[in-house]
Amino acid sequence: MLDGLSTSLKDALKKLAGKTVVDRAAVDELVKDLQRALISSDVNVKLVMELSKAIRTRSLEEEPPKGMNVREHVLRIVYQELVRLVWASTEVRLEPQTILMAGLQGSGKTTTTAKLARYFQKKGMKVGVVCADTFRPGAFDQISTLCAKINVPCFGNAQEKDALKITREGLEALKEQELIIVDTQGRHALEADLIREIIDLNVLTKATHRWLVIDAALGQQASEQAKRFHEAIGIDGVIITKMDGTAKGGGAMSAVAETKSGIAFIGSGETIEDLERFDPDGFISRLLGMGDLKALVERANENLNPDDVDVNAMMKGKFTLRDMYKQLEALNKMGPLKQIMGMLPLGNMQLPEGVYDVTSTKMVRYRIIMDSMTPTELDEPSLINSSRMQRIAHGAGATPDEVRELLKYYKMMQRTLKGLKGSGGGKFNMQRLMKRFSGMQ
Amino acid sequence: MFGGLREKLKAARDRLGGSIEAAAAKAEPAEKAVPAGAVPATRPVPEPGPATATTAPASPSFVQKVRTLIIERELIVSEKDLDDALSELEMTLLESDVALPATDAIIGSVEKNLVGKHRKIGESVDDLVVHALKTALLDVLGSGFDLKEYIAKHDRPVKILFTGVNGTGKTTTVAKIGAYLKKEGFTVVIGAGDTYRAGAIEQIAVHAERIGIRVIQHQEGADPSAVLFDAVEYAKSHKIDVVLADTAGRFHNKANLMSQLEKIKRVMKPDLVVYVDEAVAGNDAVTRAFEFDKTIGADAVVLTKADMDSRGGAAISIAHTIGKPLMFLGVGQAYEDIMPFEPAKVVDELLDGGA
Repeated sequence: MLDGLSTSLKDALKKLAGKTVVDRAAVDELVKDLQRALISSDVNVKLVMELSKAIRTRSLEEEPPKGMNVREHVLRIVYQELVRLVWASTEVRLEPQTILMAGLQGSGKTTTTAKLARYFQKKGMKVGVVCADTFRPGAFDQISTLCAKINVPCFGNAQEKDALKITREGLEALKEQELIIVDTQGRHALEADLIREIIDLNVLTKATHRWLVIDAALGQQASEQAKRFHEAIGIDGVIITKMDGTAKGGGAMSAVAETKSGIAFIGSGETIEDLERFDPDGFISRLLGMGDLKALVERANENLNPDDVDVNAMMKGKFTLRDMYKQLEALNKMGPLKQIMGMLPLGNMQLPEGVYDVTSTKMVRYRIIMDSMTPTELDEPSLINSSRMQRIAHGAGATPDEVRELLKYYKMMQRTLKGLKGSGGGKFNMQRLMKRFSGMQ
Repeated sequence: MFGGLREKLKAARDRLGGSIEAAAAKAEPAEKAVPAGAVPATRPVPEPGPATATTAPASPSFVQKVRTLIIERELIVSEKDLDDALSELEMTLLESDVALPATDAIIGSVEKNLVGKHRKIGESVDDLVVHALKTALLDVLGSGFDLKEYIAKHDRPVKILFTGVNGTGKTTTVAKIGAYLKKEGFTVVIGAGDTYRAGAIEQIAVHAERIGIRVIQHQEGADPSAVLFDAVEYAKSHKIDVVLADTAGRFHNKANLMSQLEKIKRVMKPDLVVYVDEAVAGNDAVTRAFEFDKTIGADAVVLTKADMDSRGGAAISIAHTIGKPLMFLGVGQAYEDIMPFEPAKVVDELLDGGA
């Protein structure tokens, strides 16, 4: 989300480097760059104008705190103003509750419902799903198939046209469950009878949470739609979906600002596990290029044994084929490499695209090849010469070229991780800066 | 759709007209001196008319006068005159979800049309501005796409492949276009190529049953290329006019899903690739339209969810990015809620619209 922003922010801030007084022209330019970056991320135009005005005024009028240079001063203001937009995170408690899903057509409510069911199930809760989408053909098939995969009871009736009736029966049928998620049909704010329906559903279910599901690609309409939904049922959390595309999610952020709620979850993939809690700290650090270690650790704790993958060893730059083997195994459990790398503190470093270009089939091939290596070779990949390569290829039923490709991939990973290590002590130390910020707020 | 954009454009247009008038007014006094001197000479009796015109410069008669003056002179519009008005127009477009690059292009084109040229103006200032905007918008939107005519001219069966990212409404669009073509007297078969999303096959099957169209389907998880190949074969052997091929939604940055789409294209050899996106999409509309067009190609575009009070900016962004005609707009939940898109009509409505 907003990754374009962090680049343009850095470029703009560079111009302030070494200045002793806040330069009006440089600030104007920074604000203009910021505006363009935010608008092209779909943040609401009015919101952008308010934000940039505040940044401009504060940068020019406020005295830089002692010991802070001009660049840090401006960055701090930008940071604080951005934080105000997304600071709130919706509290998610693990206790009996009912969640009502709302959103536009095609925003991903049904998929998200299943993901949420899975999320709470993994946290040890008894979850049930009610399908109140009586309009879209196949909706009940879709949610019941997804629920069956994770063994979550799902109530619905493809023949019934009355969403209220289904929900009433569903709540009754699932009353043994601790947490019930009610999936609804897609609707938009101009469809008065459908808005009426969701108001009635809200009254009927006495929902603990009313979450608005928003497509990351939604544009300027997001604020208006969120406002209308908020007026109707009082939205208390936003779920941003499809964050695995290239959309920046600025529309959804504007929706959050409009409803004064918070971002509850972020959906970022097609499998049922691809749902992340939104953590403002992590979000802002990712935005400013620090990486979201917290999310990575949370994910790792859920899925892995501690010795499966040693992030610390990786970060130290000691990275052997054996580590890569573990990593490939772990990847199956953790999700795509790109997602994991996204959580690491890469700063603004550009990773070679090739790092991500390894498909899951290739991963399997690589593991087979590594299976036919000796332990020494795994620890000291530099030992592998062409005769060893021949032998490994024979053993794995592969060609020497494939073995060479694997080694090339390994070297690339190694270089990448070395780079990570180096970036930590760079001259623009984000970690230190963040610490200072938190002290200043 | 476009309602909001129309209002905003009207405001911006008045503003543009205003600044050109202001530019003209600056040049005006010199011109005015001549008739002012000439009038008293022939008619020594002071008239109350001109006096009111000078004391109340905002009155319509004054504006009228300025306009007639403009008709007879050459007018040079400078960049400075337009700055404010253009930045307002820029905001209007951005607020209407026209993506940043497309907005830049449109503003650039309006500016180029108005700035710096010696213009002999035989029309009102309003017309001048409208003309510049219209040219810019028409440039971007191109001409529409007449599906009926295309099918009529083409060998049967006409194979149409629908692509797009998740949740834009491909399946619903396929059903709507199926219903539209059936009403127009064509025979249609649908290929249920979304074998990934749970419930997708059921969804298209129910739609097809309601509108009375045959669906060729395999099981969930089957190879979509095979399904669509079968659909084409079925159409050939049953002399059916049109094959509508639904596909699973996919993101343009997922290499394996995109190559699956390439395979589908190789296998079924579609005559038309239709890219489906939603009218409410923001800046990402540009990125994904570009990627889809690059990998799979696109011959026409369908924009869905145009009834959501959106300002239609996505139409302009997509058209600007890939330069492909907009074929239909989806405007509601019923099968008949789809309308052919006629850019000239839309632009006329936007700018001349009495609203």
